[in-house]
Amino acid sequence: MAKPVAGVLGSFVHIDAATEAIRALRAEGRTGLTVYTAAANHEVEEALGITSSPVRLFTLIGGLTGCAAGFGMTLWMSVDWPLLVGGKPIASVPPYVVLAFELTILIGALSTVAGTLILSLLKPTTGLAYDPSFSDDRIGIFVPVGPEQAGSVERLLKTAGAVEVRRED
Amino acid sequence: MATLAHDAHTPTQTHAEVTRDVVNTLGTAGRGYFMLLGLAVAMFLVGAVTFVALLKYGLGLAGYTPPVMWSVYITTFVFWIGIGHAGTLISAILFLFRSPWRTVVYRATEAMTVFAVMTAALFPIIHIGRQWFFYWLLPYPNSRYLWPNFKSPLIWDVFAITTYFTVSSTFLVVGLVPDVAAARDKMFGWRKKIYEIASLGWKGTHEQWRHYTRAYLYLAALATPLVLSVHSVVSWDFAMSLVPGWHGTIFAPYFVAGAIYSGVGMVLTILIPLRKALKLEHMFTEYHFDNLAKLTLFTGSILFYAYAMEYFVAWYSANKFEQTSFWLRAFGPMWWAGWTMIICNAFVSQLFWFKKIRTNLTALFVISIFINIGMWFERYVIIVSSLSNDFEPWAWGQMNPTWADWGILMGSFGWFGMWFLLFARTFPVVAIQEIKETIPWPRLRKGGH
Amino acid sequence: MTDESTSEQIDRRKFLKVLGVTGGGALALSGCSTDRVTKLIPYLVQSEDQVPGVATYYASTCTECHAGCGLHVKTREARAIKLEGNPEHPVNAGKLCARGQAGLQGLYNPGRLKGPKARAADGSFQEITWDEAINRLADKVGAARGKIAVITGAAPGTFSDLLSAWTTALGGQVVRYHAFDHEPMRAANRQVFGIDELPAYDFAKARYIVSFGADFLETWLAPVEHQRGFAESHGYQDGQMGKHVAFGPRMSLTGMNADEWHAIRPGSDAVLALAMANLIMSERTGAPADANGLRGVLAPHTPEAAAQETGLPAEAIKRIAREFASAKPSLAVAGGVGNQHRGATELCAAVNILNYVAGNVGQTVNFGAALAAGDGYGSMNDLAKRLDAGEVTVVLVHEANPIYSLPKSSKFSGKFAKATFKVSTSLFLDETARECDLLLPGHHALERWDDARPRRGVTGLMQPVMQPVFNTMATGDVLLKVAQRLGGPLASISAPSFEAYLKTAWQTQVPRGSDFDTFWRGALQRGGVYGSAPATPVRLAPGAQQVGYHKPAFDGTETAGDFIFSAYPTSMLHDGRGANRPWLLEMSDPVTKITWHSWVEIHPDVARDLDVQEGEILRLTSPFGSIEAPAYVYPGLHPGLVAVPLGLGHTEFGEYAKGRGVNALDLLNGEAPGGFLPYLATRVSVAKTGKYQRVAKTEGNVRQLGRGIADALTLEQARSGVAPALAEKAGGHEGEENPPREVAALKGWREEQQEEARLGAYAQDFPKWAMVVDLARCTGCSACVTACYAENNIPTVGPEQILRGREMTWIRIERYYEGGESPGEPLETRFVPVMCQHCGNAPCEPVCPVYAAYHTADGLNGQVYNRCVGTRYCSNNCPYKVRYFNWLAYGQQAFREPLNLQLNPDVTVRARGVMEKCTFCVQRIRGAQNQARMEDRTLADGDVVTACAQACPSSAIVFGNIKDPGSRVARLASDQRGYHLLEDLNVRPSVTYLAKVLHEAEG
Repeated sequence: MAKPVAGVLGSFVHIDAATEAIRALRAEGRTGLTVYTAAANHEVEEALGITSSPVRLFTLIGGLTGCAAGFGMTLWMSVDWPLLVGGKPIASVPPYVVLAFELTILIGALSTVAGTLILSLLKPTTGLAYDPSFSDDRIGIFVPVGPEQAGSVERLLKTAGAVEVRRED
Repeated sequence: MATLAHDAHTPTQTHAEVTRDVVNTLGTAGRGYFMLLGLAVAMFLVGAVTFVALLKYGLGLAGYTPPVMWSVYITTFVFWIGIGHAGTLISAILFLFRSPWRTVVYRATEAMTVFAVMTAALFPIIHIGRQWFFYWLLPYPNSRYLWPNFKSPLIWDVFAITTYFTVSSTFLVVGLVPDVAAARDKMFGWRKKIYEIASLGWKGTHEQWRHYTRAYLYLAALATPLVLSVHSVVSWDFAMSLVPGWHGTIFAPYFVAGAIYSGVGMVLTILIPLRKALKLEHMFTEYHFDNLAKLTLFTGSILFYAYAMEYFVAWYSANKFEQTSFWLRAFGPMWWAGWTMIICNAFVSQLFWFKKIRTNLTALFVISIFINIGMWFERYVIIVSSLSNDFEPWAWGQMNPTWADWGILMGSFGWFGMWFLLFARTFPVVAIQEIKETIPWPRLRKGGH
Repeated sequence: MTDESTSEQIDRRKFLKVLGVTGGGALALSGCSTDRVTKLIPYLVQSEDQVPGVATYYASTCTECHAGCGLHVKTREARAIKLEGNPEHPVNAGKLCARGQAGLQGLYNPGRLKGPKARAADGSFQEITWDEAINRLADKVGAARGKIAVITGAAPGTFSDLLSAWTTALGGQVVRYHAFDHEPMRAANRQVFGIDELPAYDFAKARYIVSFGADFLETWLAPVEHQRGFAESHGYQDGQMGKHVAFGPRMSLTGMNADEWHAIRPGSDAVLALAMANLIMSERTGAPADANGLRGVLAPHTPEAAAQETGLPAEAIKRIAREFASAKPSLAVAGGVGNQHRGATELCAAVNILNYVAGNVGQTVNFGAALAAGDGYGSMNDLAKRLDAGEVTVVLVHEANPIYSLPKSSKFSGKFAKATFKVSTSLFLDETARECDLLLPGHHALERWDDARPRRGVTGLMQPVMQPVFNTMATGDVLLKVAQRLGGPLASISAPSFEAYLKTAWQTQVPRGSDFDTFWRGALQRGGVYGSAPATPVRLAPGAQQVGYHKPAFDGTETAGDFIFSAYPTSMLHDGRGANRPWLLEMSDPVTKITWHSWVEIHPDVARDLDVQEGEILRLTSPFGSIEAPAYVYPGLHPGLVAVPLGLGHTEFGEYAKGRGVNALDLLNGEAPGGFLPYLATRVSVAKTGKYQRVAKTEGNVRQLGRGIADALTLEQARSGVAPALAEKAGGHEGEENPPREVAALKGWREEQQEEARLGAYAQDFPKWAMVVDLARCTGCSACVTACYAENNIPTVGPEQILRGREMTWIRIERYYEGGESPGEPLETRFVPVMCQHCGNAPCEPVCPVYAAYHTADGLNGQVYNRCVGTRYCSNNCPYKVRYFNWLAYGQQAFREPLNLQLNPDVTVRARGVMEKCTFCVQRIRGAQNQARMEDRTLADGDVVTACAQACPSSAIVFGNIKDPGSRVARLASDQRGYHLLEDLNVRPSVTYLAKVLHEAEG
């Protein structure tokens, strides 16, 4: 467990209160907020002004790689040792489409998952204050601030409607 | 569906209640559960012993009677693959369609998919003559400098099934992560530790959600064509050959429809007892079963059409071989199997035109059993009956299954049941976070969003 | 067909090998050792005729029946692995029937006696040494004071001479006993021509053949010779084709090969022959002058009278008589065992007359050959009486099994038991040996020296081709040793060994101006000396005036609902001697396609009336006994008949035979008067037992459903060059052909494929192996199937597996029926040998995931056993269903010791879980190619002969390189009768079938 990050953790019951708090914090120019929810939520995303994830690139690249691998493997392996079956061409594309397709899906899917993991690891959550209720029915907002400014943040969260505010240091 | 959904499906619970109810299902199990599990394991052992016998003495123990070179094992293989499809349909395709009723059922069905595919994947190994060489079907560098024959539909199968298993289990695991985290936060002691690890450090931060939702969408997008391809490929094992009764262009769509039909049947068979056992009646409501029944009706009707087409085309083609094959399918030595398939699949599903039946759980359960039987027989008829009488009349022959056939069949059900039961007690069988997504959060001020 | 071309080839190749023969012989004789080889020792001094990996051929003679066919025994590493016909031999000219080939399984039979045995006080058999055994025999015969009898089934030859000399010297009596001895024919020849012998029949010459129940393709006299002749006469060649009409109560394989088969009332055929003779006499002048004396005798036998008796329309009789007379020469034959009713002698006499008046005697019926025969049933009965009267104390039984082959009702075993000391030289513990006191198991014919005189002018030699499998001794040596020991009357008979005795006997034959050694070696290489007997011209004897017809009598009182019972011999089991050979038991009977067990044939109408289904066990009861066997509904029967095959129901004779099936002889009258045992002479009642037994048959659907599998042309069509596909609608599309555009498209597509496939080895120029099967010649005899079993190490699987359709017949004979569905419509049978078609567009190949099935560069459809994982997809996709899967390690139970010694080292014994099939004998192809390479020449047409083609007695199968325009296969494949099975599937088979040719149905 890495050393805890200093800051203030606010816990909300109401979505509108939480989003209001987020907006206020961003208006104050506070960065590095971490918002915990038990389920994906559009209002929170809007409030944070989140752009959509680059995970799609992994999917695309993986898929294309798979497709190429599929055709490459089948065609090369066919001519590597030419064996005639059923009077068909040694390397015939139509049957190989099936394999190319399956590999497209397979590698595409695996790279998508890989992508998600990598991207998530770029923003490690270790050391950030967390409360088990966030996976249940609470919305959590963690604001990383030094002790000198913590007071104002606590006040802001309370006025926004936080049911509980905790200071981490 | 979507329009009908909102009035029918107004969430009755708060976030906290959802977490509580679902996490409660992970509690310690009762006697009934262990008796079921014991039964499943016993059935699996029967299958295992049979398999050992096959290894020792050879496939001759089964009822194979040339020209019927494939029979119960391949039938059961196709049956289980088919079962899998409903799961992916509900979890992936309906996700893309944003149909609200899938949310509650999809976790159970996705699990069913994974275990069904795990079961099916055993059969290509069980049914071959030299099971210990099954890996020769994989393209790996070897001293013979020999690669597999990619023109063979069986190799397509290998790739399709591997892909299907990998993707659908990934999909299941990905979906599980936030729920495991939720469970983790409700647990204490050693159990907490386990879920701690299983949750991969999930905290539900907005960043995690940001990538997660996207990834989930793309997985669904990939799984959708996949599920359609897998059973098409399986159908090509037959359609690519020239056996009368197999050699048909409608096979791919026909098999996919059949697969989903059988899968939904199995979903009903599983969910109806499950909701009781896990006390989740208030979550799996009439609304969900009604929709499942409609899906059954839809795919069942496609089957009805496909059956009719098969016979029509056989007649219209004026091809002696096709005509004989289908005549014997209906009136030959296997007429009983042929009619079981048509009645259980084409006709029984038509009962779902009536809402009374769609919403009557007992009726649903009984019908779902018929569907399972009917779909097993569909494959049995297509495979065995077609092979029994193909081109060379002198070579015609009828086969009768033996204990070795039934042993493996029973084993496959045991194997499937075993895994599903273990899953149902260890992981949330209802997708906590996805339900929560559909429940509006409490607000301080009215109106707003 | 293939003979000339191939025989030269074979000879040139085998000449050197056969040279080494005497060395090999010496080697073989030197050892009677019982100690098995326990460790392998490399040759220090390599014996000149044993090159490891190279086959050595020895010439020998077949002893499975009395036809005396010549053999070439293929040996590898000093053990016989295959029997093939000797191309030089006048009787079989390189061909061999299933029974002859299965002689190998007599040599390696697990049921063979491993050494001499004597009955102990407690009645059990104790092993003894040969010295002991010979002492005992010597003592007994010495003390017998002439009260000695010998029952021998040995063919005429030096051994038989020794045996009779030995016996007579002791004052004993020899009875030469054959179960099927054709006594009626000889009696009739005595009566009509005053000559007591069996003539040779020239089927090849006959342009019109009428058979009165003589199964000349199965067991009658010399089947292989007859089949060769029949194929020449009846096979279609340049617009010509002989005709064959068969009369008889049961349609045997011979009947199935007839253009017309007429079911006549059992036993009524004599009057038919007389009526035909009568008509010919009254209508034609061609008959020999002395035949005119017969007019009076024949006059009462009008076609109408015959129609009355036989149940045939008089018109048919007249028509056939006229056709018979106008075809010159023609041939009528009678005297088959299956048709041996009380009037058999009358019948044979009548047929003699018929042949005589038609001028066939001297043309197709040639006296002078004097085919080998025994002393007949009568003398056996006399012996039985003497045994009963206790006039015989010592009996020696050699190569005969009377206790089995005589009906129980003859009570022979009881009479036999009265002899105080009984000796058997049988190789097996058969029913007779079981009753004996001393067992002196002899050598198998392939382990000993001997010769055989199947007919005048032909002497075949036998030589040891390998060390004896067990501690046995040639009976010839036994006799000589006994003679040595006893001296006295036997003193005159003395030789160091039977080999020496044989050579001495042959000294007399040495032609002028050549020394014995050259002569002897030459004879050994050729397998004997083959001359031709001077023909004995015959004239009608006074007895001819006595020919006539009497309703034959049948045992048992005539009651409603009873049947006449026919016990007939099958081409596989013969008189029962085949019953311990797994090959012959597994080989489906050519007519009924049933394996491994007995059956009762009943007519479909009767089955309907009695409500009998196939497989229902019926009890047949005659005044002499009763048997139970499953029913087989067979349309080729007179409705008044039920038939059961002979040869099974052994109570001893080794594990394969013991307790298998029922013995049809149990229903026969063993004390019937007359000089022969009537096999068609009892009435039986048929009772349903309500029990069922699935019939272990390889028969599938017997109708080809217009699928163009067994195509046929009428003689007219064949002459006018109509293609089979047009003559008979083949395949799926009702009455429509592919339009030329489609045909062209298909062709073009095919060529493109070939272009794209030109890679690696496929780019080079290789031969393309192909086969042609002439259905106009094939008789369905199944010799090819046995040859395939022997060549390719095919395991027998046993009845249980055959019930699951798992027989491993790489080549199978499909038997389809045409017609016979409406009453009066004639039933036609078509045989199609089906083996792997080695398709150009083989559907089995692309579906194999591991390339176990692939196409070789020389056009073979390869099957790599070691690569096969057993998905069986290839078999599903094979339209001909010629791929066979090894379900349960069949090899292990099929080839257990010592049968494993018969395995062909050039062919893998396939493992369990692997797909196998016809390879076009690829080992022979590669062998020939290597041979050619060693001799630095290119392959010539006929260098490669597959096992099936080699064996086929009618030469219906031709194999070769179809790319070579000069090859016979290329020529025949382009014959206008040529077609492919299921042509519409466009799989491009390498096997071309030549459509059967039918005589237009008349009258």
